Amino acid sequence: MDFANLAAQLNAGTILPEGIVITTLMVVLVGDLIVGRSASRWLPYAAIAGLLSATAALYFQWDNVSPISFLGAFNSDDLSIVFRGIIALSAAVTILMSIRYVEQSGTALAEFIAILLSATLGGMFLSGANELVMIFISLETLSISSYLLTGYTKRDPRSNEAALKYLLIGASSTAVFLYGVSLLYGLSGGKTQLDAIAAGIANNSAGQSLGLVIALVFAIAGIAFKISAAPFHQWTPDVYEGSPTPVVAFLSVGSKAAGFALAIRLLTTAFPLVTEEWRFVFTALAVLSMVLGNVVALAQSSMKRMLAYSSIAQAGFIMIGLIAGTDAGYASMVFYLLVYLFMNLGGFICVILFSLRTGTDQISEYSGLYQKDPLLTLCLSICLLSLGGIPPLAGFFGKIYLFWAGWQAEQYGLVLLGLITTVISIYYYIRVVRMMVVKEPQEMSAAVKNYPEISWNLPGMRPLQVGLVLTLVATSLAGILSNPLFTLANNSIVRTPMLQPAVVSREVGQ
Amino acid sequence: MNLATGVQVVSFGILAVMMIGAALGVVLLSNIVYSAFLLGGVFVSIAGMYLLLNADFVAAAQVLIYVGAVNVLILFAIMLVNKRQDFIPLPRAWVRQVLTAVVSLGLFILLSTMVLATPWSFSTGPAAGDNSIVLIGQHFFSDFLLPFELASILLLIAMVGAIILARREFLPEQTLATELEQPVLTLPERPRQLVSVASDRNSSLDKVERQK
Repeated sequence: MDFANLAAQLNAGTILPEGIVITTLMVVLVGDLIVGRSASRWLPYAAIAGLLSATAALYFQWDNVSPISFLGAFNSDDLSIVFRGIIALSAAVTILMSIRYVEQSGTALAEFIAILLSATLGGMFLSGANELVMIFISLETLSISSYLLTGYTKRDPRSNEAALKYLLIGASSTAVFLYGVSLLYGLSGGKTQLDAIAAGIANNSAGQSLGLVIALVFAIAGIAFKISAAPFHQWTPDVYEGSPTPVVAFLSVGSKAAGFALAIRLLTTAFPLVTEEWRFVFTALAVLSMVLGNVVALAQSSMKRMLAYSSIAQAGFIMIGLIAGTDAGYASMVFYLLVYLFMNLGGFICVILFSLRTGTDQISEYSGLYQKDPLLTLCLSICLLSLGGIPPLAGFFGKIYLFWAGWQAEQYGLVLLGLITTVISIYYYIRVVRMMVVKEPQEMSAAVKNYPEISWNLPGMRPLQVGLVLTLVATSLAGILSNPLFTLANNSIVRTPMLQPAVVSREVGQ
Repeated sequence: MNLATGVQVVSFGILAVMMIGAALGVVLLSNIVYSAFLLGGVFVSIAGMYLLLNADFVAAAQVLIYVGAVNVLILFAIMLVNKRQDFIPLPRAWVRQVLTAVVSLGLFILLSTMVLATPWSFSTGPAAGDNSIVLIGQHFFSDFLLPFELASILLLIAMVGAIILARREFLPEQTLATELEQPVLTLPERPRQLVSVASDRNSSLDKVERQK
């Protein structure tokens, strides 16, 4: 095997977007070292430019004829491209909202962006990882960067607590995941590529063995931790409350999207023999997440904790598409994640802006905000209503598509439960909106009464404003003009060869 | 049974007894330093197991990484914390211990049933033997190239993160005040806000520095 031959086999062009992210990471780290503290004026914009050009590179890789690269380690099919795009965009928006926040918290911005970029890198590689070692290393890159980000404001004891909890629970769930994955290696006769594993298990007629079921359960435990599904969600409220808010925004969108990409790829490729079993386990997870997330969110008084429980509930809704297991089901997951990207990040931008101006994130402090800051009120209302699924907004179409796909796949109970819990969720989202809009001037909270003059000229405020307007426009327009997004989501599923046999076998089985 | 298998069986027995005994000691002893040293014993016994399985590179890596780095790190952490405090037993602590024992035993029974009941598929390739390092290297530069390279990013960012968590904050606005108080050999940093007990020790350290 000579070098030229090997280099041709690697097909390394498929990881060009990740290469751009790595280059940006190096520019941020080395640029900060050389230029010093004054570099923080241009570093965030360089990072955003890098992430956007990575997204553009992803666009040019659409419909790649030979997606398998690195001798089977990485699969750059259309599904992975969509998920990598979601993760890169969420990181870009997160940087927009973090500039002012990190400066205010008195920590260094360059390292924050570097760690965030490496988390993005881990998530992007995880979306396309096609082999067990690759899955594990990219999962660890994502997780370790997330632990570091969670504890970034190290003078804040709540941040320390959040980082420690996240690290301990995350390490044990990673260990469980690794144990399950190592069982797959043994069951298939020493294979590490996902399709080879499925073939090896089928050859060995270990399809219904106890070992495969335990491997499945352990792998699901690791995935469910990443997407914070219900019995594995205990870290979520504490971590969301304690860690810096931009980090929470990234965890709730980027990290969750990476977890769903892993779930689709691992479950459909490596576990086709136990499809009924993993659907059953995920049905239980979805029911628990929807009920627990929505019901507990009703009782929250802190905005960040409420968004934490709401993100648990949203993970439950997205799982309906995974359980449906049809083309429409997977496409609805992708569509919902695309929409969720804008509305959830928009919500977090508003929370950051409010806490930068008033220093609090209690829900009761939002009362009467309409009188002082109409733009913030408008954006937060639109994002929350969209999360709740109110008709003309993007979230409504996302939910409709998910429920329709679930209904087509005969998951009637699950869809009905989803509808009921959506109604519950609308209550707690509307509560915040009502607090901001309806209150009389004399009922204004103390924080809003002392609301500072709105000036977008302060350093770091302009990107926040750009992010605010961008997510506002995307959330309101994605509902009315959702057709391009629909087409994107559908194409990404139809043109992914990995998902097609799974869909066919499901239709034959019925 | 010839001599080679005899030696293998006997050394397996010795290693297994060592490993299980040391592992029980890690869990059951109340002195955390003993537990840490016994954990090193567990790691060494596992390395011995790897040697018996002809995986000499993995055995060497096990000793270097787990005994040489992880275990030493645990001991450092114990020594740095250095909290001399008598452990007050909780009321009804036995309930927790019994529950833990039941859960662990149940998990052990489940996993051992799985090991016995599952038809494992054995690799048909020839054993690597002494050639294993060459093979590992070839894999690193062919089909495991991407994870190998990604691991370098992972290590880089772990190092950056560790430095961020451990370093002192650079706060320029504080330098003027500290320079007025201590003109000699102070870094332009604000010392960490320590709790009262530790700050006494900190000031004594400062005295030592000034004497130098």
